Amino acid sequence: MVAVLVSCHKVRRSPGRAYMPDMTYSRAYETYSSTDNLKKEDINYNAMPVPGAIARGDEYPYRLPNNDSGYTASANTKSPLDESKINMTEAERLYLVNCAICHGPKLDGNGPLWKGGDGPYPVAPKNFMAEDMKALPEGTMFHVATYGKGQMGSYASQLSTDQRWEVVAYIKMKQGAAAATAADTTKTK
Amino acid sequence: MIPCKPIGKKLATLLIVFIVSIGLNNVFAAGGDIPAGKTLFMSHCAACHQVKKDATGPALMGLEDRHTWADHNDLLKWVHNPAAYMANDKYTKDLHDKFGSMMVGFPDLKLEDIDNIVAYINDAAVEKAPAGGTAEEAPQKSNSNAIIFGVISLILAIIALILMQVNSNLKKMSDDAEGIQRPHPVPFYKNKIYIAILALILFAIAGYQLSKGAIGLGHQHDYEPVQPIFYSHKVHAGINQISCLYCHGNAWESRHATIPSVNVCMNCHKAIQDYTKGPKLYDVDGNEINGTAEIAKLYDFAGFDPKKPNDWNPSMAKPIQWIKIHNLPDHVYFNHSQHVRIGKVQCQTCHGEITAMDEVKQMAPLSMGWCINCHRQTKVDFNYTDSTGNKFYSIYEKFHNDIKNHKMDSVTVKNIGGIECQKCHY
Repeated sequence: MVAVLVSCHKVRRSPGRAYMPDMTYSRAYETYSSTDNLKKEDINYNAMPVPGAIARGDEYPYRLPNNDSGYTASANTKSPLDESKINMTEAERLYLVNCAICHGPKLDGNGPLWKGGDGPYPVAPKNFMAEDMKALPEGTMFHVATYGKGQMGSYASQLSTDQRWEVVAYIKMKQGAAAATAADTTKTK
Repeated sequence: MIPCKPIGKKLATLLIVFIVSIGLNNVFAAGGDIPAGKTLFMSHCAACHQVKKDATGPALMGLEDRHTWADHNDLLKWVHNPAAYMANDKYTKDLHDKFGSMMVGFPDLKLEDIDNIVAYINDAAVEKAPAGGTAEEAPQKSNSNAIIFGVISLILAIIALILMQVNSNLKKMSDDAEGIQRPHPVPFYKNKIYIAILALILFAIAGYQLSKGAIGLGHQHDYEPVQPIFYSHKVHAGINQISCLYCHGNAWESRHATIPSVNVCMNCHKAIQDYTKGPKLYDVDGNEINGTAEIAKLYDFAGFDPKKPNDWNPSMAKPIQWIKIHNLPDHVYFNHSQHVRIGKVQCQTCHGEITAMDEVKQMAPLSMGWCINCHRQTKVDFNYTDSTGNKFYSIYEKFHNDIKNHKMDSVTVKNIGGIECQKCHY
């Protein structure tokens, strides 16, 4: 009885036993299962893609290198996507999930990680609504999303090529909308 | 007018003190306006510079002691046009080689702006006493109610037993006194009724525990393993509001929610190198956790040296062997994207209040009964006509007709095959 009572308060640190282990644990190699025993049997297994491999659905591989010359050349790169066919609701979702934590849901460079300097992030994220960011060509924006710049890391592992172009299109659309409303207000003034 | 003289003197001294204090104020003002400097620092410098640590550019703390920067005019020349300044200056050229990137020029800054920024940097460089006292209390004391109830019922049972014995003894004594002859009473441990009741109780307890244990086989309800790094979902997803999909993005696209690779952690932790701004962390056993040391563990896996952030090579990172908590047996098929994207189920529905958990614990039993129950109760958003709807549901003509004719008011997952065996076991 004491044992039962004590066990009620214990943190469960062990996963427990399975009823039929051969039906619980996969005999095939599942996602994240260890491949160490292949090495023991002298089977060569490498989870990395072959250099130059193109991911499925990735029709427009990006070839500019991650260096100064690539950065300069990226200014002339144009989006391969047809802007009228981009689903902006999806692009907005991608922006909010991946970018907004730093660059802010309003694209003002004030996401929850920065919070005007009160958040944990030590350096200020770029404000997409500032003039220098509005002047940044879409190709350069894509280049930075692909390779990272300054403290920002690469987003190539989280967003596919198409998704990165969609997010860039979303940012450019928001910047354009802000410019349009600004122009409207100056006109009415 | 003699009595007035001392007052006049006092007034004069007051006036002098006043003038001097204004003068002093002016002297401090010439040193720079700290709030204005903070605004300028945040808008111009903070993208690349930190006060105390090297980032994309060097730490700016104590910059007046370096090179010729004590002369703000010289500093201004550098800030206005770094490329031109660097051409004739070895110190800045060495810095450029060390950090590998060229500083951006700010020709719009004026001398007083530089004064203000330097004033802010000097102010921020001074260690401030941390605003203590906000830390949460240590985890709550263990709930001892169950033990108390158990002990009380045990005592009551013993008392009841003693009273019964006393009762039978008294009866025997009264019988003796009245001279009534009765057969010798059976002791309670040989009493067949007692034995039968005890056997029934034991049988019920054993049966309950046995069936409970058998049902629990292979279920990991409440599983809360120790992870290789004390990663707090409360700090990341709760306090800092990082979307679940930032790290577990594949929950939207595939069967597996996927665990982020080290480079995703490093997207932020390349810059966030210590844990100072959140609440104190405790594990479930009540031990205090040093957040900065946990980030250092991440750097070990990533092969990242915080002193040389620009030398980091992400391809040298080693995977962190996180321990899987929510585990379904191999004979069960579960697809995240189907639930998260199509079914619009919130992560918390199955994973509990993840945003409040330091250490993740499996809140749901993840048993078949639990799955089926949800499939029976959950209503499907059957709208397929407008742009937000799912066009797939247009094929269920009968249900749409029944809804129109008020034969049924809603469609559950069960109605569209959510409890058929081969949906999950195939």
